[in-house]
Amino acid sequence: MTKQIDLLQGTLDMLILKAVSLGPLHGYGILLRIQQISKDRLEIQQGSLYPALYRLEHQGWIASEWGESENRRKAKYYRLTTAGKRRFQAEAEKWNRMADVIAGILRTTPEQV
Amino acid sequence: MRLWSRLRSWLGANLRRARMDSEMDAELRFHLEAYAEDLIGNGVSRQQALRRARLEFGGVDKTKEECREARGVRFIETLMRDLHYSMRALRKSPGFTTVAVLTLALGIGANTTIFSAVDALMLRPLPFPASNELVRIYSIQQGMFNTFGNPDGPSAPDVRDFAERSHSFQSIVVYDTWRKNVNFGDAAGEPEQMSVGLVPAGYFEVLGIRPIVGRLFTEEENQEGKNYIAAISALLWRSRYAGDPLILGRKIRINGEPYTIVAVMPDVIPAWVEPGRHSQIWTPFAFSDAWSESSRGGRGWATLARLRPGVSLEQAQADLSVIAAALAAEHPVDEGVGAAVKRLADTRVGALRPMLFLLIGAVSLILLIACVNLANLLLARNSARQRELAVRAALGAGRGGLVRQLLVETLVLSLVGGAVGLVLARIGLASLARMHTEELPQLTSVGIDWRVLAFTFLVSLATSLLFGLAPAFMGTRLNLVDALKQGGRSATSGPSSQRVRNILVVTEMAMSLILLVGATLLVRSIIRLERQSLGIRQDHLLRGRIYLPPVRYADAGTITRFCDDFAARVRALPGVINATVTTVYPPNNGWIQMLDIPGHPVTRIQDIPSAQFGVADAHFLAALEIPLIRGRDFAASDSVTSPPVALISQEFNRRYFPTEDPIGRKIHIGPPQFLRIPRGENTSDDTDVTIVGVVGDFKNAGLAHSPDPQITVLYAQHPLVNYGFKDIVIRTAADPNPLVPEIRRQLHELDSDVPFADVHTMDELVQAETGSQRFTTLLLSSFAAAGLALAVVGIYGVISFLVTQRKQELSVRIALGASRANVLWLVLKQGLEMAAIGAAIGLAGAWSAQRLMGRLLFGVSPVDPLTFAGAAAFLLAVAVIASAIPGVRVLQIDPAQMLRQD
Repeated sequence: MTKQIDLLQGTLDMLILKAVSLGPLHGYGILLRIQQISKDRLEIQQGSLYPALYRLEHQGWIASEWGESENRRKAKYYRLTTAGKRRFQAEAEKWNRMADVIAGILRTTPEQV
Repeated sequence: MRLWSRLRSWLGANLRRARMDSEMDAELRFHLEAYAEDLIGNGVSRQQALRRARLEFGGVDKTKEECREARGVRFIETLMRDLHYSMRALRKSPGFTTVAVLTLALGIGANTTIFSAVDALMLRPLPFPASNELVRIYSIQQGMFNTFGNPDGPSAPDVRDFAERSHSFQSIVVYDTWRKNVNFGDAAGEPEQMSVGLVPAGYFEVLGIRPIVGRLFTEEENQEGKNYIAAISALLWRSRYAGDPLILGRKIRINGEPYTIVAVMPDVIPAWVEPGRHSQIWTPFAFSDAWSESSRGGRGWATLARLRPGVSLEQAQADLSVIAAALAAEHPVDEGVGAAVKRLADTRVGALRPMLFLLIGAVSLILLIACVNLANLLLARNSARQRELAVRAALGAGRGGLVRQLLVETLVLSLVGGAVGLVLARIGLASLARMHTEELPQLTSVGIDWRVLAFTFLVSLATSLLFGLAPAFMGTRLNLVDALKQGGRSATSGPSSQRVRNILVVTEMAMSLILLVGATLLVRSIIRLERQSLGIRQDHLLRGRIYLPPVRYADAGTITRFCDDFAARVRALPGVINATVTTVYPPNNGWIQMLDIPGHPVTRIQDIPSAQFGVADAHFLAALEIPLIRGRDFAASDSVTSPPVALISQEFNRRYFPTEDPIGRKIHIGPPQFLRIPRGENTSDDTDVTIVGVVGDFKNAGLAHSPDPQITVLYAQHPLVNYGFKDIVIRTAADPNPLVPEIRRQLHELDSDVPFADVHTMDELVQAETGSQRFTTLLLSSFAAAGLALAVVGIYGVISFLVTQRKQELSVRIALGASRANVLWLVLKQGLEMAAIGAAIGLAGAWSAQRLMGRLLFGVSPVDPLTFAGAAAFLLAVAVIASAIPGVRVLQIDPAQMLRQD
């Protein structure tokens, strides 16, 4: 098992938005999807997923409806709303800029200062 | 959009909370089971899998709670918590809460009361169809008959010509209201004096009123002899006849003659529409001689008219002016007489109009003072709470949370204040109705005006929000560390917020001074009005009225005999000193008579001498205790057969006999030769009299006017004006009221069908005269007291706060040798400065209100220097006392201990 990283504050929302941007998913599916695309390198507290989902729905970024799961069970599916799409793009852009800046700082060698 | 979806989500969440909870359960169960199945797929045993799934998920209940919060379901719970906390905070400072609630209640209550009353009195549309078409027509004459500055009614022939020649009116009616003896012929049997409306067929049609039962009068029934029919009000129908459905055809005895009831009218005619008292009975207007040409000078009828649709008041006025000018040219008696038209709705408050405006001004000031006071209180409270807020912010309360909590607190305060204000308004309106029913009968039916209540409530709410929340924003933005570092001392309030508070107090002071000056002026005016001498001895004097109807008292001789008998019987009663049957007594006479005085030739109608006139018996002077200045009193020897004699007042003497001795001079009671109409056709006097005495002046034109010339004659000698309307004035040894039943018994022994009506003492008659002034004065004084109380609270609050803040500095001063008196002065000076600036502004305000005040005052200047100085001095004194209370605390400081504290 590769070493897992604790989730950075505030990044869970972005990951959820990313996960559902690829297609409607139920809560457990979102968890699996994030683990899958992070290649199991991220540790997500299962219990913290749902408050995040409810918050995002309350804010209007994602919407939910009841549907049928792969093994024919009733499950609540979440999908990205138009507002959520915009929000995700803005967040992702911000994150990338931030990551660049931080990576740049960390790469700096003493000679460059 | 975002807000909407949030709101919808929140609403949905709250409304379907149960459903949401079960959905949440289902969702979480699905998660756990799906995970467990995956684990089973990986070879974990079923039991083991479920356990691991639950373990790795973490606390399910905690998750659920977090989910609910994320969705905003907790709003209600938070609100309840804030509410609970607010109540506790308000209870913890009962002083602040009480004063703030009372301040709000006073502002809301006073304004709701006064504006509701004003709306009912002046603004509300009349209860008639197309009521803006309704007008009254007045006859205006150059000052002569306008003793009270009120326009007089026109004469019937003039109105007939107006109706024939004008194009502005659908119809014009002439009517009147008379005191009559009414006997319902029921078991009680006591006759009563009631006011009866004498109205033509068109009266109800002009107003647009249909009878509930029965029919309107016909044109034919306006003729004498055919007029023995009556309409009664629904009120009377219910109270006297228990709503008897067979009411039509029943009879009422009016002035001893039977009238058949033909209609029941709805109770929609406000009392002020009918001159005098509110009529409950109407009979046809059957005065054949009112329409004869000889009555063209007989003015004073009440009128009602309806404009044609689309005709403006100005057009109608222009129309009438042209006709009046033509009539003046055609008829000598109409010379100099014009016509004026007024909207009926504008005639309803009459002389009270300026008082109502004054009260509106006063309550507006109260609302302002209340808002200023509230602002002041909230500023003080919140600056004292900055430390508490800072602590809570430091402990992690968000700005939103703090603001929300202050908002809830402010709302709670405003709602409680509003509720108490509503109660105050109810009490206020109830007492208004009790205080003033005689002059303003409309007031009895005033309800709370909800628009005004809402408006005043919103104004106070806005104030509380502005001043309750602004510091919260400033406060939460304050540096936490700074606020906490202040340690045990109360938190800072910057110099700017202190300045705001000072300005607020100055404003309060200024406005309360305006109210104080106004109230003082009115009180002084009313004292002047009531304490002035009437010119008679006012105490132990009783007045009662009788009416001897023509059906049993057809000629002057019978009337004279009855009156003399009645007065003699009353004089014989134990406890009665004297009694006189008279139409003349203070404070109002109201019977103005044209005179022809030798040596005063006149050719123009407006130059004709006139005087207050009336008839009495020989006991007139003695009973009223009017001094005889010159000549002789009436005597028993002055009889029907002897030459008629008259008593004139000193003012009469001055005006018409400035250089000669009037005793023995003959004058003619009645218009001069060129206006005379054949004897027998007129209803006014037409007799030569000899002046035998000059008597002291007494009030005969109202309390607020100096006495008019007065001439008094004996009714026995003036059969033309010896009418059935008579008053008896009785001088008693002790309180006259217990004698009333015995006097009434004596009257009924002479004639059991004549009521003894309108019995009042002279003191009561004088008070009734000043009723509206008393009313305004009482209200304005209570407003001034309330305003002053609020201002005192304001200045006290600011000074206490300053003292607390400056304790440190003051201790240092004392420690360094400043005398305590000096230190106290430092504190007092602050209060005095604010009061002085406020007083200066207030005096300027009172000065600028002099035009409004001037109209309401009697014998006091609206800028009376004594009142101004006194009110200002009083305000300063109150301010000093309010500042001295916290100031004295400074003197109790032990500087050593105070300085050690830090």
